Amino acid sequence: MPEGDMAVAQGSSNNSSDFVRKLYKMLEDPNYSEVVRWGDGGDSFVVLENEKFTKTILPKHFKHSNFASFVRQLNKYDFHKVRQSEENGQSPYGKEAWEFKHPAFRADAKNNLDNIRRKAPAPRKNQATEDQFSSNTQIAALSETLAATQQQVQALQDSYFEMAHANKVFVDEIMHLQKMIKAQNSVNNELVDHLGKIDHERRHARATSNHSSQFNGNNIMSDGTEEPPAELRRAREILNSVSGDHIPEKDLRQMSIQFQQIGASPDSASSSSMMGPPGSAGMQNNYIHDPMNDLRHMVYPVGQTIGIDPFAAEHMGNIPYNRPLSQNNMGPGPVPEPGPAAMPTASPPVGAPGAQSTSPWGQKKPRVLLVEDDKICSRIGSKFLAQYDCGVEVARDGLEAVNKINTNPSWFDLIFMDIVMPHLDGVSATAMIREVSPRVPIIAMTSNINQQDLEMYFHWGMRDVLAKPFTKEGMIGKLKKHLPSFLRNPHRSRFVGSDCKIRDNASAIAINKHFLAFSGAASACFAQHGAGSGGYLTAGSGGPMAMTPGGTQRPQQYAGGMIPAMSGQQMGRMPDDGPPEKRQRLYGPGPQGPYA
Amino acid sequence: MSSDNHDGGDSNLPDLGDAIDIVTFSQILEMDDSEDDREFSQSIVFGFFEQAEETFEKMDEALEAKNLDELSKLGHFLKGSSATLGLTKVKDSCEKIQRYGKKENEDGTPETDEELCLSRVTETMKSLRTEYSEAETTLRKFFNTPAV
Repeated sequence: MPEGDMAVAQGSSNNSSDFVRKLYKMLEDPNYSEVVRWGDGGDSFVVLENEKFTKTILPKHFKHSNFASFVRQLNKYDFHKVRQSEENGQSPYGKEAWEFKHPAFRADAKNNLDNIRRKAPAPRKNQATEDQFSSNTQIAALSETLAATQQQVQALQDSYFEMAHANKVFVDEIMHLQKMIKAQNSVNNELVDHLGKIDHERRHARATSNHSSQFNGNNIMSDGTEEPPAELRRAREILNSVSGDHIPEKDLRQMSIQFQQIGASPDSASSSSMMGPPGSAGMQNNYIHDPMNDLRHMVYPVGQTIGIDPFAAEHMGNIPYNRPLSQNNMGPGPVPEPGPAAMPTASPPVGAPGAQSTSPWGQKKPRVLLVEDDKICSRIGSKFLAQYDCGVEVARDGLEAVNKINTNPSWFDLIFMDIVMPHLDGVSATAMIREVSPRVPIIAMTSNINQQDLEMYFHWGMRDVLAKPFTKEGMIGKLKKHLPSFLRNPHRSRFVGSDCKIRDNASAIAINKHFLAFSGAASACFAQHGAGSGGYLTAGSGGPMAMTPGGTQRPQQYAGGMIPAMSGQQMGRMPDDGPPEKRQRLYGPGPQGPYA
Repeated sequence: MSSDNHDGGDSNLPDLGDAIDIVTFSQILEMDDSEDDREFSQSIVFGFFEQAEETFEKMDEALEAKNLDELSKLGHFLKGSSATLGLTKVKDSCEKIQRYGKKENEDGTPETDEELCLSRVTETMKSLRTEYSEAETTLRKFFNTPAV
């Protein structure tokens, strides 16, 4: 042990070990000199008679009789066994003797005993410094994990209560079914009895009618009687007694509704609006048989079917609900998939090869997923896309979209995503899709274009924004911009094409390492997005809609001049797909940003 | 049909009055197979009629229940489709309802007086219905007369 340490320790030490004091005390006893004594120089001590020492002295002074343990203890206090010198070949105290030494342990320095301290275990010392070094990040990681765990526990608790309830309902229902079966059995018995009787009567009648016609009257009477036989009446009574609206049945129906709505959590019970969106009757049927139904762990406020606005105060801090958990689950990061734009593996969904003369696309036509809860909008949108020779599929809410992507993560080449939707909002859906499909361009369709909203979109992996109400030009513009490699004649949008390569790389990196740094040009590029969509909007509808005041004026100003200006600086385009964490920080103070 | 059009230079666009933004609406018309076959646009528009009527009913219910949150959602819902069709006035009213339902003033500032919000929604719904039926009349007329 370094001397310095000891010197420092000395001041505060009244806590020198009992062990050392006991040791010294033991050596003070002259009676032991045959067994254990100070070394000749007074700077060491010698155990002469190992066996005697272990059997008599150790128990007396150290309350045990284990020599090895005694030696271990000495080692802990940094005593060293003195080796027998090579030249002599023998210890001066005899062959069996054990001599121990510590620089501070001397017969003439009793005051020095306090300097003999337990060694700090070496490896632990190292760790301690490391801990200090990274303690902040570790605490951060821990609290993240804790938050995730808490969420998980909460979710488990919720689903436990649901299941407990379900279980009760099932038991009730089983009891009811058993009762029904019993009733059916007795009904069957009654029927059999009755049939047996009739059969018997008939035979009897047939037999008698052969002999005499006067029995005919009786016969007719028994056949045509209005009064039902007693057995049948009893059977009906039994059936009546068990049928009817009983409670378990209602509960079961309630439960199946809940299942369709993907586990209404207690939180969502407060938002009691269970109305379906207009014109969407039957849209919930899709979820019943879906394995993704088990998204219950999300603790997401489902159950309201008009639309979940991720910006509503009650959701704002929680979007997307499942994110902390899934981030932990992501492990080493998503496996880089071949980019949809880079690898035309699958066959085109629509369009025969002959149609190429008019199609804007090359060998492969892009497959587009349109996620939109409004029937009118989704019909118009998919018509726009289909007319532009894209393969189009429609999902009616975020959950359906996530299911489609999970089924085949690389099927779609581009996703248009509405934000406010029932079951699962567009932002949460995007976050979930990003876990399996980190690169597919996801474009938010929204009328809420203000800074806060945009931050959120990009933060959770959206790549661009298409202002609502969308126009055909707007949609096609996004297609061309994000799928340049699909174009038959990529020349037309050359700068966009080169941009896209950078973007794909950037996004792959960005998604794997969430904290890549980007240049401040993010703001400019970002502004261009907003401006572009704003421009479409203005041109399309003649008036801006639900946009922040700042966002509506500038588009005309920038729509023309900005895009070419941007094309020259590659760095300016990179953040397009950079980690949104960075972007949101950057675009605020950006010199060109109209949203700043 | 008159081809007066203040929005742009395309003189082939039909005049549907100021209830409908013709540039937006003509995008839907362009999706039709031909000017004589308006099957697509007509089904879209009639689908919207249904949607609007249903939404109005729900708005009435929500208003009765003083459920501002629901009103806001319904406003947002109808806003999307009306905007996509170019029914500018309807869209504007829907947006107002969305705001009032969110307990906001028209300019987006928060409004704490719920009764005030509710009465604003009530007022806006009146004009919404007027604007809607105006647009509906125009559109029904448009689809019943052959487009020139």
